[in-house]
Amino acid sequence: MHPLLLTFMIIGLPAAVALLYVFVRGTTTMRRYILTRITLTIPMVLILASLVFFVLRIIPGDPVTSSLGPKGSPEVKELLRQNLGLDDPLLVQYGRFIGDILTFDFGDSLIGAQRPIADELGERLPATLELVLPATILALAIGVVFGTWAAVRRKRAADYGLRLYSVVIYSMPIFWLGLLLQLLFGVWLEWTPIAGRIDAVIASDLERTTNFLTIDAVLHGNWEALSSALHHLVLPTLTLGLVLSGVFLRLTRINVIETLEEDYVAAARARGIRERVVTYSYALKNAMIPVITLIGLQVAILLAGAVLTETVFSWPGMGRYLVDRISSRDFTAVQSTITMFALFVALISLAVDIVYSLLDPRVRY
Amino acid sequence: MRDVVYSVRGLSVEYPTREGSTRAVDDVSLDIHKGEILGLVGESGCGKSTLGKSLLRMQSPGRIVEGELWFGGRDLMTLGERQMQKLRGRNLSMVFQDPMTSLNPVERIVDHIVETVQTHEPGVSEAAARDRARDLARRLGILENRIDDYPHQFSGGMRQRIMIALALALNADVVVADEPTTALDVIVEAQFLDLLRELRDEFDLTIVMITHNIGVVAEIADRVAVMYAARLTELATVDRFFAETRHPYSQGLLRSVPNIDLDEQSLSTMSGAPPSLLYPPPGCRFHPRCPHAMEVCTAEQPAMADVGPAHEAACWLYLDHAGSPPLEVVSDA
Amino acid sequence: MAVDLETREAGWQQDLERAGLLRRLLRARKWHGADWWFVAIASVMVVAFIVLALFPGFFAPHDPREQVGPRFLAPGEKPDVESLIIPGDSGITSLLDIVGDERVPTAVVEGTPSSQAARDEADRITQVLQDRGEDVRLRLRVQRHDTIQEALDELVAGDAVIAVASSAAFDEVADDYPSLDVAGPVFEGQTLSSFLLGTNQIGQDVLSRLIWGTRIALIIGFSASFFSLFIGVPLGLFAGFTGGKTDRVLTVFMDSLYAFPGLILAIAITAVLGPSIINVIVAIAVLYIPTYYRIVRGQTLSVKESLFVEAARSLGAKSRVVLTRYVFPNVIPSVAIIFSVNIADAILTGAGLSFLGLGLPPTTPDWGIDLARGQETIQRASWLITFPGVAVMLVVLAFTMMGEGLMEIFNPKLRDR
Repeated sequence: MHPLLLTFMIIGLPAAVALLYVFVRGTTTMRRYILTRITLTIPMVLILASLVFFVLRIIPGDPVTSSLGPKGSPEVKELLRQNLGLDDPLLVQYGRFIGDILTFDFGDSLIGAQRPIADELGERLPATLELVLPATILALAIGVVFGTWAAVRRKRAADYGLRLYSVVIYSMPIFWLGLLLQLLFGVWLEWTPIAGRIDAVIASDLERTTNFLTIDAVLHGNWEALSSALHHLVLPTLTLGLVLSGVFLRLTRINVIETLEEDYVAAARARGIRERVVTYSYALKNAMIPVITLIGLQVAILLAGAVLTETVFSWPGMGRYLVDRISSRDFTAVQSTITMFALFVALISLAVDIVYSLLDPRVRY
Repeated sequence: MRDVVYSVRGLSVEYPTREGSTRAVDDVSLDIHKGEILGLVGESGCGKSTLGKSLLRMQSPGRIVEGELWFGGRDLMTLGERQMQKLRGRNLSMVFQDPMTSLNPVERIVDHIVETVQTHEPGVSEAAARDRARDLARRLGILENRIDDYPHQFSGGMRQRIMIALALALNADVVVADEPTTALDVIVEAQFLDLLRELRDEFDLTIVMITHNIGVVAEIADRVAVMYAARLTELATVDRFFAETRHPYSQGLLRSVPNIDLDEQSLSTMSGAPPSLLYPPPGCRFHPRCPHAMEVCTAEQPAMADVGPAHEAACWLYLDHAGSPPLEVVSDA
Repeated sequence: MAVDLETREAGWQQDLERAGLLRRLLRARKWHGADWWFVAIASVMVVAFIVLALFPGFFAPHDPREQVGPRFLAPGEKPDVESLIIPGDSGITSLLDIVGDERVPTAVVEGTPSSQAARDEADRITQVLQDRGEDVRLRLRVQRHDTIQEALDELVAGDAVIAVASSAAFDEVADDYPSLDVAGPVFEGQTLSSFLLGTNQIGQDVLSRLIWGTRIALIIGFSASFFSLFIGVPLGLFAGFTGGKTDRVLTVFMDSLYAFPGLILAIAITAVLGPSIINVIVAIAVLYIPTYYRIVRGQTLSVKESLFVEAARSLGAKSRVVLTRYVFPNVIPSVAIIFSVNIADAILTGAGLSFLGLGLPPTTPDWGIDLARGQETIQRASWLITFPGVAVMLVVLAFTMMGEGLMEIFNPKLRDR
């Protein structure tokens, strides 16, 4: 099975099951809401992809010249032009572009290996996901826990300390944090490796099925590979996760503070509900509603961070692929990769909205 | 009147503001009797809400700087927060002004009640608590099949009943109602007051009704307490208050309620506005607006004194003073 | 004696007005607590950085693009160069001072490059002078010794006029020769002084590059933010105010743009446009337009619906008046906060772009570029990644703290988007 499809299934299947469950068990309002959101996702992806398309074409700069550089002879350029259909009117090109997207036809890479781009993405998407998922979990754990803590202890030492932490960590360029961690743990202490996903020697022994190295290692009982993969995961995950945690901490804190000032919290206290119950049952649960939506919006930061983190740690994911292809002026690959990113963003957005509807009964009923 | 169930003695509450500290409640003493409905009236900002919240020690961000709160044989000021939490909801409860924002939007109604019950009576099982919730809902006219609904699915009047239900879930000794009808329209308000009266009779409740609406007080209260600029100015039974109003401020209040039966050409008003609590006027705080102001009124604050049976007022007109003549009357026009 | 109502009432207001700006600031400090400090410290930092950016030449000790020292010199480390050693009272400051007809006795250590260095430089000077038409020469009579102590002893004894040795070697024994001094480096253009933050792989002064980098960073930050502001705010006001179809279309477009990972879009734009600072500014500016748009539109909508605007309209206020007199002033605090945070973000994105090698020409003294280069030699020269990173962090921190603090002060309940 094509690796891209496999990856989508690995992530998509549990999500689809959860969605089905919610759908079946939910009320009519809920079902209508879910259906609406799903149908809205498609235009959203199309809009984003179109954005990419037009941005890359309207901006001055001939893609063919960019790709081939000054070396290409006029005949070769003309051939390439025809091949890419760049001479056709814009709308025709656009139509073809949309058609390609809907059929998942990503085209072929212009430069280098000349492989179908879908294959390249198929190998790299799992790499990015393997980094991004644990990082998000780490960021959420730190951010939500300490954000709530800071909100509860507002205007006291812990609050200011945590706000300082979140602001400092957010101000650090993520690639700098990566470099520092590389220096500290990789070079000076030599606790972890500093680049790549897995030791090259061990890698050659590992059989790939899903391209998620950790999953593959477990599937094939290759514990050496698992250990190596995990070791390599530490620094990049830490880098991305810590920077994100700053953002999540800030968001959680603000929303919990606002929720704590709501009337129903005071009313609960007036009924003698203990402060800890008030904080968790009332404030946190209610604060999570706007926080989830806001966190969903941070996907943009997540992906930007992933691009930079992958560059610092030579992580063979989609982010580094994008930068790579841009430097090589591989126009088609750039377009396809960005479209893939857009798809990712749209899906996360969908997931967030559905989770949001689960939390807030005002939407459901 | 029956026994005193809650006694406030010399209470003062301060609020920190940008320009300094203000006293929202200044040296207020008040006794609340079992089974009565005490109406606490005053303009916005006079301190009545703060006083109400202080009864449960929920006046934050204000601070109680002076005074004693005698309830159940103890001065509540000596209790720690944990002990106060045990009292709140159980012996002292509150009904809030805006029922929409006072209920947790993501929690079902029944869960609100169950939670309150289980907090104070941990031994009660979930099933038993739910039964009690159902009972309570029925008594308050809330349909049983609706207790699993969420707050936003109810109308304003119904939500206010839910709030009462919560306040009564554990048969509180004193219920403080903070402007409970302000958010309701007139008809719903009338229904609400009827309900309150019924409940009081049935459960022998003691209610402190905080409101700026004199009409509500006339309708439902047994006694009236009037506050002005953080101080108590008059305290009387309802009948005496309306028949023989003593304090000039109260008189002004009553005079300014439009009366369709009277043949008046213009509305009667009180000139001026309530003073700043940061820099209150010296002496009696009402004196700049008082038609009977005397020299002593600009110098010393009057204390609450008997002016009739079960009737107190804080005004130099009724206290011994050095017999100074009244100052120029500030015109009403 | 009518009681003076007005004086009593207005009393506290007058007191406040008399208080003046300073007292109000101090009172604000007590009221807002640490948030006040956040803003205060941040403001100081911001001003400092702006000053640095405006007058980099004044603060930077060297030209950031010139090779002013040996490569990979650690911070504070003195370069080891061939230096001219003289008796303290000789008055010689460089090889030019000993130009003449006679051969100058020069003490060197056997087996070091000193003698060759001295001779090369002497020849060069001679050539330069003769090209200028001066008929003079610089000739050295090299006297070799086994150790540096012997060489220096000869100098002290007066048997040599100058000594040439590596500065490191001299430093080791300098305490034993208090009468001797280092006049300067043998080769013109080299330097004996250390660099506060070291040098990089080309020999450029890190400190100077940092200071000049401030200018680039702030230019990018401010320009991009201004651009975004001038496009986003009017659009937001317009959309919020007029509503209808234009509003809907614009909002859908802006929402999509907003949801999209900014860096990636910036990467795409700069890649296509090519490396130049203007392109970077434009690319980053595009990213933040939706932010201004959304917030301004939201505020416009809520102000538009508010009661006091309705009241104004019922009194006949025209739309334009409502916009300028009611909506706009209410929008300004939020815009100020976003602006501050925006600059921070723009600088971060700019650094990210240059780190990836996109956007700025490679000769620009920019923090991102320095960090990228520093990564290549991370083991050997760790200071090359430390300092530029600290610089970025401090600048971004300053603007972010200011925005954060302003947000807490202006409206502690201000919703986060």
